[in-house]
Amino acid sequence: MKKDSPQMQQEQDRKTAEATAAADTAYDALSASPSRTLLGDAWHRLRKNRLAIAAIIWIIIMVIAAISADLWVPQRFGDPITINTQTLTVDRLLPPQLAHPFGTDDLGRDVFARVVYGARFSLAVGLIATAISIVIGLVLGALGGYYGGFTDTLIMRTADVFFAFPYTLFAIALVAILGPGFINVFIAIGVLGWPSIARVFRSSIFSVKSQDYVQAARALGASDVRIMSRHIMPNSVAPIIVYGTMSIGGAILTEAALSFLGMGIQPPTPSWGYMINASTKFMTTAPWLMLWPGFAILTTVLAFVLLGDGLRDALDVKMKD
Amino acid sequence: MATDLLVVEDLKMYFHTRDGVVKAVDGVSYTLNKGETIGVVGESGSGKSVTAMTMMRLIPMPPGKVEGGDVRFNGESLLTLSEDKMRAIRGNRIAMIFQDPMTSLNPVYRVGHQLAEPLMLHKKLSKSDAWNRATELLEMVGIPHPESRVKDYPHQFSGGMRQRVMIAMALACDPDILIADEPTTALDVTIQAQILELMQELQQRTGSAIIMITHDLGVVADMADRILVMYAGKAIEYGTVDEVFYKPSHPYTWGLIDSLPRHDMTEKGELCPIKGQPPSLIQVPNGCSFHPRCPYAKERCRVEVPASRPIEGSHVAACHFAGDPGFTRNEMACAGVNAQ
Amino acid sequence: MLKYIGRRILQMVPVFIGVTVLLFLMTAVVPGDPVKMITGEREISPAVYNQIRAEYGFDKPLIVQYGMYVNRLAHGDLGQSLMRGRPVKDMLLDKFPYTMQLALAAIIIEIIFGIGAGMISAVKRYSFADVLVTLSTSILVSLPVFWLGTLFQMFFGIYLKDWTTDAFYLPMSGAGGPGAPFPHWVYLILPAITLASVSTAYAARIMRSQLLEVMSQDYIRTATAKGLSANAVLWRHAVKNAMIPVITFIGIDFGAMMSGAILTETVFNWPGVGNEIYNAVVRRDWPVVMGGVVIIVVVVMIINLLVDISYAFFDPRIRYGGGEEA
Repeated sequence: MKKDSPQMQQEQDRKTAEATAAADTAYDALSASPSRTLLGDAWHRLRKNRLAIAAIIWIIIMVIAAISADLWVPQRFGDPITINTQTLTVDRLLPPQLAHPFGTDDLGRDVFARVVYGARFSLAVGLIATAISIVIGLVLGALGGYYGGFTDTLIMRTADVFFAFPYTLFAIALVAILGPGFINVFIAIGVLGWPSIARVFRSSIFSVKSQDYVQAARALGASDVRIMSRHIMPNSVAPIIVYGTMSIGGAILTEAALSFLGMGIQPPTPSWGYMINASTKFMTTAPWLMLWPGFAILTTVLAFVLLGDGLRDALDVKMKD
Repeated sequence: MATDLLVVEDLKMYFHTRDGVVKAVDGVSYTLNKGETIGVVGESGSGKSVTAMTMMRLIPMPPGKVEGGDVRFNGESLLTLSEDKMRAIRGNRIAMIFQDPMTSLNPVYRVGHQLAEPLMLHKKLSKSDAWNRATELLEMVGIPHPESRVKDYPHQFSGGMRQRVMIAMALACDPDILIADEPTTALDVTIQAQILELMQELQQRTGSAIIMITHDLGVVADMADRILVMYAGKAIEYGTVDEVFYKPSHPYTWGLIDSLPRHDMTEKGELCPIKGQPPSLIQVPNGCSFHPRCPYAKERCRVEVPASRPIEGSHVAACHFAGDPGFTRNEMACAGVNAQ
Repeated sequence: MLKYIGRRILQMVPVFIGVTVLLFLMTAVVPGDPVKMITGEREISPAVYNQIRAEYGFDKPLIVQYGMYVNRLAHGDLGQSLMRGRPVKDMLLDKFPYTMQLALAAIIIEIIFGIGAGMISAVKRYSFADVLVTLSTSILVSLPVFWLGTLFQMFFGIYLKDWTTDAFYLPMSGAGGPGAPFPHWVYLILPAITLASVSTAYAARIMRSQLLEVMSQDYIRTATAKGLSANAVLWRHAVKNAMIPVITFIGIDFGAMMSGAILTETVFNWPGVGNEIYNAVVRRDWPVVMGGVVIIVVVVMIINLLVDISYAFFDPRIRYGGGEEA
């Protein structure tokens, strides 16, 4: 065959593809996947942390209660949204009692029911908005971390611009522009969260990238994607897990703040932040109204914070590197 | 014998941890006199540093606890001294320098300040006097341009220079004893030599005694008058430097000496390490703690803890067969074959 | 060190530009007729309409509009309030000192209590005090600031008043003024404590972890070996090193504090920029909202820059560069 002929080229390409595939396979055989042992190890340590376990239990309870709310709340406590005009004057502002464990609000609705329904929204915002941030943050952080250079600078400068805005202020401004309503809240909080995640992930990547085992993998001919997925990701994932968990708490607080200012989900759909705002009028006449939604927020966020702390301690050994 | 400067007598210090009792120091004895140097030699984890830290009372006392023995400085027990009195001794009569010069100096204070600190504290010098003395000290340890360097921060010095600063700081108050914990381990070989030379020079000048803690036999060969070899918290051989080097009497010491690469080795010659790993100090082997790795071990070694047997004069070794006629190093030991 | 400062300022420039772009995009994206944003709901003649259109360049490409926007910002023109008709700048600058007072008071509280609690909890690790501090910081961090504010109002403003029959209570609204029952500074107490609460918790946590890390450093061992007392080692050697990241944190936290200020001012009806922004949001007075955002962002950026620069003063490794490696 003549040099540089198309057949020669094809032959070369085929050989290269074969070689890469062989290298990838050989390399796979040599390296056991790190993720399984990492997570298993961490789970053991997490189990010993009682606060974290309590937090997990509480979160599970709330999630189940919120998801299943339709099945048991209205039946026992009445509709949390519509107002029963007939019993309005009789039922309003009742103090906590057997039929209404948290009392009733100024429109006769059972507060416990409203708190449970409020949980739906708060948890949803927490989880979904954080998920949005994580996805955007991971992608951008990965791009910047892996490719470095101009891509990295561009992404990081953009992150810096976001960082220059105080978080809640930015959220308020965004929702003010986009208009109130729950989808906009998701978007606003989700979009604001990516810079922190990106930064954490990127620095993780940088420190992992310079480790010897990555150099070794490259020397063995492993492809970029493989290095990314097999080595860099599992080792960089730990800080993301911790930070993500804490972010859920932050997202819930931000949503509560937005609702408090009247910019989140609109009444009559219950939302904890709004309930606190509405209850200030009745500070003297029905002080309990203010307490329940506040406690709900506090315990929920606290659970995520403690869980995040616990995860950080459990994953610590790996993270320290 | 008068009053020896320092007497360590059967010192035992254990750590009580959640996972068990760590017998970090398990019966160590030696004496030290003015102008003498003792080399405390052993692998990592042998307890050589912990012994010194215990002497200085730098070990946090839960979880650490002195389980026996004593340390006497000029006849006075250091272990029962009040904390106030102990503080007056630290940095003043007994000073210590540590392994890593890069991290042993406070990065936010100028070098002069850190040198002046013990002077102002112990010798009650005024600030300006202390700073002047600091400059002198820098000169003494061979740092060029001491007058301007004294105002510099630690990060502006190289590793070797920083160790010199540490030495200057330790000698500032003219201590009777200088404890040097692996002072050259973190340094380049050429710098190592310089630092050791410096220490010897200063010792000549000031007459302090030195406790040189190291894992490197080469370091002590030149400097030490006596050698204490430690293993798994115990002192397994003790004697003058000549006795220990020319008439080593413990299999571990033989192993240490044999494992040194020799400059007269041929290309084909093999290195001869001691097989196995030092034991965990929580689960020290029964009997002689070295027996699992000892090519000369016998049944007795598995069961009975060897006492310190006298060889000659002050030379002692803790092996059941130490000093027995015919109990010598066997070339076969290198191959890991049981040599007795 | 000048190099460091210069570099920091240089790095700020693209960020600053990016911020102005973002701000501009936010104003440009506000739904509705942009001319109406300027004039409000009033009826205006087509001539005026076109004039405004030309003046603000709404018919021109975005880039040009951006340029005009930056130009206006540079001249301090933040537009006119839709409701009040006054220049936004004047309205907000009036309120600015109140917000600064609040922030300053909160920072002082944060420094004293945050750093203090962090130190106690690090020094007496695992003691009751430590556990207390760790738990309460976790709780504070999970607390919605506005809820804490309303709780304070309820307790100090209403119940305390009741229980002591009007003898002792704290005002829960407004900032006082001529004829008010308390001097101005008393009105600052509750809002400042509320605003400081979350930041103090973070500061305590950071101080604790920093101090613990510093205490395990080799140079602390050296200091003890030199014969220094535990107190001297703590205050002279440990704290000085641990403070550096904490100070940086406090500076950075200033931004978050500005956010929190909006909520706190709203709850306590404290007449600051945050309160104005909130009221403007309710009234849909966008120029005021955006103007407020601009002011706050600019202040936060300046403070961040100052903190960055001050870092050089605190850390000799930056101040005197020229570190050598072994």
